[in-house]
Amino acid sequence: MVENRPFLTFLTHLVLIAGVVIVVFPVYLAFIASTHGPGQFVSGLVPLLPGPHLVENYSTIWNEGLSSSGAPPIWVMMMNSLLMAVAIAVGKIAISLLSAYAIVYFKFPFRLLAFWIIFITLMLPVEVRIIPTFAVVANLGMLNSYQGLILPLIASATATFLFRQFFLTIPDELMEAARVDGAGPMKFFRDILLPLSRTNIAALFVILFIFGWVQYMWPLLVTSDSRYYTIVMGIKRLAASADSEPLWHLVMAAVILAMLPPVLVVIFMQRLFVKGLVETEK
Amino acid sequence: MQTKRTIFPSKLLPYILLAPQLAVTLIFFIWPALQAVKSSFEREDPFGFRTTFIWFDNYRRIFADPNYLSSLGRTAIFAISVTLLSMAISLLLAVAVNRLLRSGKVYTTLLVWPYAVAPVVVGILWWFIFNPSIGLAPYILRGLGISWNHRIDGNQAMILIIIAAAWKQISYNFLFFVAGLQSVPQSLNEAAAIDGAGPFKRFWTIIFPLISPTTFFLLIININYAMFDTFGIVDATTSGGPAQATNILVYKVYTDGVLNLNIGSSAAQSVILMLIVIALTIVQFRFVERRVQY
Amino acid sequence: MATISLIDLMKSYGDIPAVKGVNLDVADGELIVLVGPSGCGKSTLLRMVAGLETVTSGSIEIGGRNVVKAEPAERDIAMVFQNYALYPHMTVRGNLEYGLKNRGTPREEINRRVREAADILEIGALLDRKPRQLSGGQRQRVAMGRAIVREPAAFLFDEPLSNLDAKLRVQMRVEIRKLQRRLKTTSLYVTHDQLEAMTLADRLVVMNSGLVEQIGTPTEVYDRPATLFVAGFIGSPPMNLIPVSSLSGNEVSAGLPSGTDIVGIRPDAFVLEQPAEPSLALEASVELLEPIGGESHLHVRLNSSGQSIVLSVPGRPEIAEVSDIVVHARLADLHPFSAQTGRRADNP
Repeated sequence: MVENRPFLTFLTHLVLIAGVVIVVFPVYLAFIASTHGPGQFVSGLVPLLPGPHLVENYSTIWNEGLSSSGAPPIWVMMMNSLLMAVAIAVGKIAISLLSAYAIVYFKFPFRLLAFWIIFITLMLPVEVRIIPTFAVVANLGMLNSYQGLILPLIASATATFLFRQFFLTIPDELMEAARVDGAGPMKFFRDILLPLSRTNIAALFVILFIFGWVQYMWPLLVTSDSRYYTIVMGIKRLAASADSEPLWHLVMAAVILAMLPPVLVVIFMQRLFVKGLVETEK
Repeated sequence: MQTKRTIFPSKLLPYILLAPQLAVTLIFFIWPALQAVKSSFEREDPFGFRTTFIWFDNYRRIFADPNYLSSLGRTAIFAISVTLLSMAISLLLAVAVNRLLRSGKVYTTLLVWPYAVAPVVVGILWWFIFNPSIGLAPYILRGLGISWNHRIDGNQAMILIIIAAAWKQISYNFLFFVAGLQSVPQSLNEAAAIDGAGPFKRFWTIIFPLISPTTFFLLIININYAMFDTFGIVDATTSGGPAQATNILVYKVYTDGVLNLNIGSSAAQSVILMLIVIALTIVQFRFVERRVQY
Repeated sequence: MATISLIDLMKSYGDIPAVKGVNLDVADGELIVLVGPSGCGKSTLLRMVAGLETVTSGSIEIGGRNVVKAEPAERDIAMVFQNYALYPHMTVRGNLEYGLKNRGTPREEINRRVREAADILEIGALLDRKPRQLSGGQRQRVAMGRAIVREPAAFLFDEPLSNLDAKLRVQMRVEIRKLQRRLKTTSLYVTHDQLEAMTLADRLVVMNSGLVEQIGTPTEVYDRPATLFVAGFIGSPPMNLIPVSSLSGNEVSAGLPSGTDIVGIRPDAFVLEQPAEPSLALEASVELLEPIGGESHLHVRLNSSGQSIVLSVPGRPEIAEVSDIVVHARLADLHPFSAQTGRRADNP
């Protein structure tokens, strides 16, 4: 701060507190709703202070789900989401590390072509190729399967570019020293490159875990069997039924559970999260 | 393109390393995209027995369809509103946090987590707040003499999805603005203060011009976000209604293709969306090259 | 222990030649310094010996074995890099061991060699640290240690001291010399610093634009530079190169070998008093006097041609700047060169 202006400092805090209220309030309201009984939502106004049914609501939704919605218990969907998010993050990181390694440390015919093919995926989000991608997955017999949920999402231009960028900053001499020390390509990759990429891998994992967790349209397309529902797509079914009967307390408990894992990841790994976010977009 | 000064001599290995990425890309990205382009020039009979090549008929039909044109307009309004609203709030918060030293970290933690909330969950949160029968917002608005029902009023529905979409994007924009502000050398700010510029003047004449690369970058990213990543928000709040008022392009391509099985039209819409993403990506990358000078 | 032979060694990048045919025989245990300005091909030459650059033509023999096609690891060499290239995520011990482990050296043998190298280099206390916790000088030692533990046929040094500050550089230079004497390992050492080259080398290889200008002991190269380039490159301040035409008034041409049109005179070969031996005298005006401790550099401009030359004179002479003087040099101290060939005119 260049000069000391008490009023400006006061204003600064006021702005930030207002910002935090805007950001937190919708979630606060959802949490409050999840602690009340069904009677509170028949008419009038939603409650603004916590009610007594917290444990009851959460254990109901966790173990049983909402029978009327056709969705399985929350824990099943949470496990599916966890599996999908982790598999997507690990898969993207693994194949991107390998392709970035090939592009940076080798010269070979069609290297530029390979780079452009990977680059093109940036311009083809699932939203612009819904039907044909669905058709491919259906033809491969991967509807209602974990492979179908995961595989089509693990190509990653951004992760490849991040690792490429990072590899280029590693001094050439390190690879030369390793060669003189008798390390072949895969040994160098495992002994030197992977350990050096640790922070980048962790940062990327945070971002990609969130990416995998919040997927909505893709699970909606490829899963019709409720055993494969993810929490994020399942919750929409819960919400749809909540509007007809007053089940807001249970729906909101599910909402809180659905956002908890990725939000906790962001809060507790904030440094990695920020690094991952800022660097993947560079 | 850059490689290392020395490279490993293997001939086959790089192809093996690239194989998984390229396989996934070709099977699930390139091939379907080509299929979309192909189908956009074809018409399928109602029973799916025959397809005929019809050149640009699908495109012609789309651009003659008042629903599509209205969707195009609605998308533009939506994307611009989300971008401006979210970026304005984020910039204000980022500037505030940048003035603080230690407490700035606490505020940052409290502000960044919505990035991790799925769009469809964001939709449900705001749908709950604006629920016409029990929501808090309609209750307050009633007190102000405004009757809220986004199930009937298209403009109110649009406002609802704009608020929800902008809310989610605040944390993202905030982080990039903070990063941008921190890269402005403190000495410039001090020099301007010595030159007699007050804090507000300093912001608009020194700092804001210097973070313009960040601003421009976010502009592109936000438009991209509003156009493609908001499917869940729309699906959870308005489902494109009432009367198509919030049927933005990405939602329309889904409903026409997946729900109404209008393959040709949906494919043509996909191709148009593809062209939009390609244009946005090109703008973004040409700009990244220019950003280097800062 | 091994000899190294380079035979007609050439390297070009596309159409651009970097090394244009080099022949060199390095004796067992010898320390050869490759010196030259940046871009002269000395690093490329060293990296070809290491196996980090492919050879365009010619051959390299280490210990009598042609290694042109061999991988770096198969050449039995160790290399010390300019930026040390220590593995940042491994401890000092890990760095020293890595090459031995890759070769499947038995554990006890690894331990023995690491202990020995650590003793020699006095880095025993640093073995469990990471490179980032070390000072520049310590990193340099670890880089040396990584080469020593391998007990290779040859050491290759690629400007190993240029990342150190001036004081440390002198100190490490002495240590490298002592170490090499002690281990008697054949070494190729690349530097652009001619002082480093002079003090370290058994023999110098002076290179310029991809070619060897001269090979010889430091004294030979200093006393009888074979080419105009070497004359100008070795020695500080550099040798003054004066066209014969501007030696007007002196009866020197008769004493110079035929074909001489440039004479080289070292700054310290000039004297201010006329010597007893046959000498030449040049009228000049003083432009600048730089006292640098025990001696002074005198920048003067020749009256005959206007050329600026530098004299190195002992002590601090009482000479006013912007005054006219006469400088002398013994005819025996002149180096005759031919401008046409760029070489010495008195070579047998």
